[in-house]
Amino acid sequence: MKHKSQDNPQGEFPEEFGSQSRRSFLRLAGFTFAGVALAGCEQSRIEKAIPYLIKPEEITPGKASWYASTCRGCSAGCGILVKNRDGRPIKIEGNPDHPVSRGGVCAIGQAMVLGIYDSMRLTGPLINGSLSTWNAVDRTVAGTLQSLQSKNRGVRILTGALNGPTEKVILDGFLRRFSNAKHIVWSALSQSAILEAHRLTHGMRVLPRYRFDKADVIVSFDADFLGTWISPVEFTRGYTEKRSLKGMPPMCSYHVQVESRLSLTGAKADRRIVIAPAERIALIQELYSALTGKRAGSEMARLGRRLQEARGRSLVVCGSNDLQAQLLINAINHALGNYGGTIDLNTPSYQHQSDDRAVQGLVEEMREGNVGALFLAGVNPVADLPNGSEFAGLMKNIPLVVSFADHVDETSSQATIIAPDHHFLESWSDAEPVDGIVTVNQPVIAPLGNTRSLMESLSIWSGRPKSALQLMQETWSRSVFPRRKKGMGFQEFWDRAVHDGFVEVHPTRRVLPRFRPGSVEPPVAQAVTEGFTAVLYPKVTVLDGRHAQNAWLQEIPDPITKITWDNYAILSPEAAEKIGGMSGDIVRLSLPDGSSALELPAWVQPGQPESVVAVALGYGRKGTERFTSIGPKWLQGRPSTGPNGLVGVNASVFLEFDNGEVKYERNGIKIEKTGRRSVLACTQTYHSVDSPPLLAGEQRHRRPLVQMTSLAEFAADPTAGSYPKPESRSLWSEEHHYDGYHWGMVIDLNACTGCAACVVSCQAENNIPVVGKDEVLRNREMHWLRIDRYFMENDGTTDVVHQPMLCHHCDNAPCETVCPVQATVHSSEGLNQQIYNRCVGTRYCANNCPYKIRRFNWFDYPRDNEKENMVLNPDVTVRSRGVMEKCSFCVQRIQEARIEAKRQGTTIRDDQLKTACEQSCPARAIAFGDLNNPETRVSMLAKDPRQYQILAELEIRPTVSYMTVVKNRLDVKEQDNV
Amino acid sequence: MKAPHTLTTVLLIAVAFVAPLLVDAVRRNYRLAGDNSGFEPVQPIAYSHRLHAGELGIDCQHCHSGAETSRMAGIPPANTCMNCHTFVTAPFNAVRAEDEAAARENRKPRRIISPELRKLYNALGLDEELHPDSAMEQSAIQWVRIHAVPDFASFDHRAHLGAGVDCQTCHGEVQTMERVRQVSTLSMGWCVNCHRDANANGIKGRKVNAPLDCAACHY
Repeated sequence: MKHKSQDNPQGEFPEEFGSQSRRSFLRLAGFTFAGVALAGCEQSRIEKAIPYLIKPEEITPGKASWYASTCRGCSAGCGILVKNRDGRPIKIEGNPDHPVSRGGVCAIGQAMVLGIYDSMRLTGPLINGSLSTWNAVDRTVAGTLQSLQSKNRGVRILTGALNGPTEKVILDGFLRRFSNAKHIVWSALSQSAILEAHRLTHGMRVLPRYRFDKADVIVSFDADFLGTWISPVEFTRGYTEKRSLKGMPPMCSYHVQVESRLSLTGAKADRRIVIAPAERIALIQELYSALTGKRAGSEMARLGRRLQEARGRSLVVCGSNDLQAQLLINAINHALGNYGGTIDLNTPSYQHQSDDRAVQGLVEEMREGNVGALFLAGVNPVADLPNGSEFAGLMKNIPLVVSFADHVDETSSQATIIAPDHHFLESWSDAEPVDGIVTVNQPVIAPLGNTRSLMESLSIWSGRPKSALQLMQETWSRSVFPRRKKGMGFQEFWDRAVHDGFVEVHPTRRVLPRFRPGSVEPPVAQAVTEGFTAVLYPKVTVLDGRHAQNAWLQEIPDPITKITWDNYAILSPEAAEKIGGMSGDIVRLSLPDGSSALELPAWVQPGQPESVVAVALGYGRKGTERFTSIGPKWLQGRPSTGPNGLVGVNASVFLEFDNGEVKYERNGIKIEKTGRRSVLACTQTYHSVDSPPLLAGEQRHRRPLVQMTSLAEFAADPTAGSYPKPESRSLWSEEHHYDGYHWGMVIDLNACTGCAACVVSCQAENNIPVVGKDEVLRNREMHWLRIDRYFMENDGTTDVVHQPMLCHHCDNAPCETVCPVQATVHSSEGLNQQIYNRCVGTRYCANNCPYKIRRFNWFDYPRDNEKENMVLNPDVTVRSRGVMEKCSFCVQRIQEARIEAKRQGTTIRDDQLKTACEQSCPARAIAFGDLNNPETRVSMLAKDPRQYQILAELEIRPTVSYMTVVKNRLDVKEQDNV
Repeated sequence: MKAPHTLTTVLLIAVAFVAPLLVDAVRRNYRLAGDNSGFEPVQPIAYSHRLHAGELGIDCQHCHSGAETSRMAGIPPANTCMNCHTFVTAPFNAVRAEDEAAARENRKPRRIISPELRKLYNALGLDEELHPDSAMEQSAIQWVRIHAVPDFASFDHRAHLGAGVDCQTCHGEVQTMERVRQVSTLSMGWCVNCHRDANANGIKGRKVNAPLDCAACHY
């Protein structure tokens, strides 16, 4: 316990709960004999109550305070509200007023709160790998920089998207001190080609702001815009608004996804066209030709017509980092008049600024030995660059490498100095995700370690040491305040910005640049290659691997494959047949020249072409060895890591620079079976129940769980797609009456994208433990809310539907009737209550639950890290071994809202109470509230013709219901008609 | 032949184990598990509720200010004490005695600090003249918690105050206690009885809706 004061802040966690003496053992033994009647004659353990010496004015113990801030989990810049209890951030929620994210937070954003308490986060600066002091760091940096200036070797800063006004000013100020200095922006999930294409076609190297909220027809070529592309929360909200089915004819955009692997976005598409990556450019060309009237009759021509009909309201996007493709996409969007409509260049996005060419230039300079000092912030090039290991080698030749990383990772471990930056919830900073929207980060907790803000570090090394707050206020008064929209003084402007978490100011650009037609050249057809094409993609939860050390994110099942704790080679069933493999077989993927190879388990899944093998990036990260024994420790426990000691394998060895951009597809991959097998912890098949044929009757193969219809049918009949409710008699005689509130939930499956934000939000709110890969394999995952994924095969195409599944709080709850100790009982407001202290763990209830949403604590899950325990929500009991648990409809929030309402002498208003899952949902797919009040959102949706209950034939009267999926088609079974 | 012997042995051992427990239980008036009523620990500072709440008539919420707005009433931070004890440093008698002595000896009266209040000032790192002393380390006052419900039960002060429940209903006549003692059992039966009673008879003539659902407290 070297850093006791940090690991055990305020000394509030007792170190030991007393060792057991022989005497206490005997007493315990006697207890078992004597039974409960005489139990506990022991005075309880002495507890200390330690108040503040001097209480900060804004803190009331036991009461949460909320601070507006900005999420830095990725570069999208969503607005968040951070819930603080007794000085600790314990939950992140979306900021409903924020103009970018509008109230949603993704899974990654939700999990960021765990990162503050990460015990592996660096607690102080390192020089050559050993803990040092900031004074020593400052001396070393200043000394080396001084000596560099005489030698004229370059100073380079490599950062991720860096768009905060203050950050930029500080960085520029630092670089200006050197004659040969450059700032290079790069991200592992590069959008360089889009920026480059706009430089060529519009004369400005920017990323436009895509307005999915204005798009009636969307064609996406491999852009996973609902999952991982640029700003998924913003796009999800806009996209679902356009598919609200309101009005007549019902509002519903038409979405075509042309893609080479099954993505989250593809799962929502009305029409999914499966192509090999090599075919993409030709298809885009064909679409362009169709729009310019050169070809007709083909599928792309029909699509072109559809796009033409929605001129200015259509949107064509491409996720490929291929300049040729992006140039064509720009030409298409220009031809469709989308610039100024669905594509905004007036107020462009700064969410991605990567410049792959500049990174290549940097590597070149490093090879030549021209770099004297390299600063790295928010990047991990050794793990993410195509030639990462070479980069690591070249770093050794640079006299000074400073990393601002907060963990020892592949890159920072090679650095001379690690000057760890604060967690974003510990520091002041700003961002400008979209031109004209400047967001604020404010500290919500004092730094837990001896870390220092990047801005402060740079200002010290520039010779003008100032605090981050001072730096920010100075910059704001100079460059942000003059852009204000309303007249007010600086203090008011600043206070408002900090209070709201953002401020809307005049954008910096005014003139819409003109399209330059000559800049688009017809593409060269790609040569067909032998072997497989590896498609390297980011997962919704792990992205490029920057959050690989976040246990919550590792345990979230991937929305499509439903696999946790691993990456794998996804093969189509045809490809699997070709190589004679099946899911779980370890396959060896290798380049034709044998220069690099990967061994990882195969996963067979429909929805991708035979020639494609899809592998997730961001795995095999240094630091994930910490998860080896994250699960409960017992005799048969197995590690959560693979044979390499890490979670998954790093697929970036297959990346390459091609024509200036990082290419996320690699041709000519050879796949061989190794003969070994591995197990993948997939949660989808967890609770499948196969009824014996004699018992099940006609319903055996198809339970009406997901209702789906087409837009044409829906327009004609709003109840279209409903399954007839089978006749059945209730086992329960009583009718239930709820006089006060009656809590219920409706989940709109048409809006739900399956992004898993709700799952992490629930995990954070309800103290749900992480169980590790081995326990997931044993079907002992603990998430109260899971998302079921259904594949539906129609004429060779695959439809995917996601269905969030949680406790349905049935009126006639089957779990309640079988509990022998009444540990699960009904409340007067329709809640199915689970009383942990009554539960004796018979598991009868879980057995009798038709939705299979009950979770049993097979162990006391590891809670031995006191620092990480600080993330626990003090309003929710931490369940112990032998106890059943399940969704409580966030009853702690209901209680909080009820008591506050009572205090004010009113009843709970609809906007005063949101469950964790509902609050987080970027698509607003979840509505929770009082069913007895006709004005709540949930009661309105409950009366919608699309509303249906699942397993209603059991007469269990669930209070959670769903809404039919509507695909924009003529016939729901055929994708190819509109 | 053998089985009865085994049974007897087991029973004998059982009795041997149970007997001392029985004796203990009788000695302690058959207290149920978790019942800490009568708990009256010695606190790090001999703070008198009798003096403050009783004799001086200071309102409970003057110090336990969270009770109305938060689930926790809260134990006052030291700076709340200092609102008064910046000026009041010792009992009136002691100060008067010193004033009289000073008048007799024709000198300026010294500041008298009572030994219990000295502990408060020590915690805050204040010197003899109550100025911050950098040589003294500030240290939290570690009160012994008396009233506590188990972790699996949530109690909320706001709701009870809002419904008009007096502090004394649960905490007893604290204003008469020199050292605070737990008078109620704080057991679930005790809670539920009060809730039922409140629903039937109201509180201070006002109709209330005291929840009886499990999840009102257990979540």
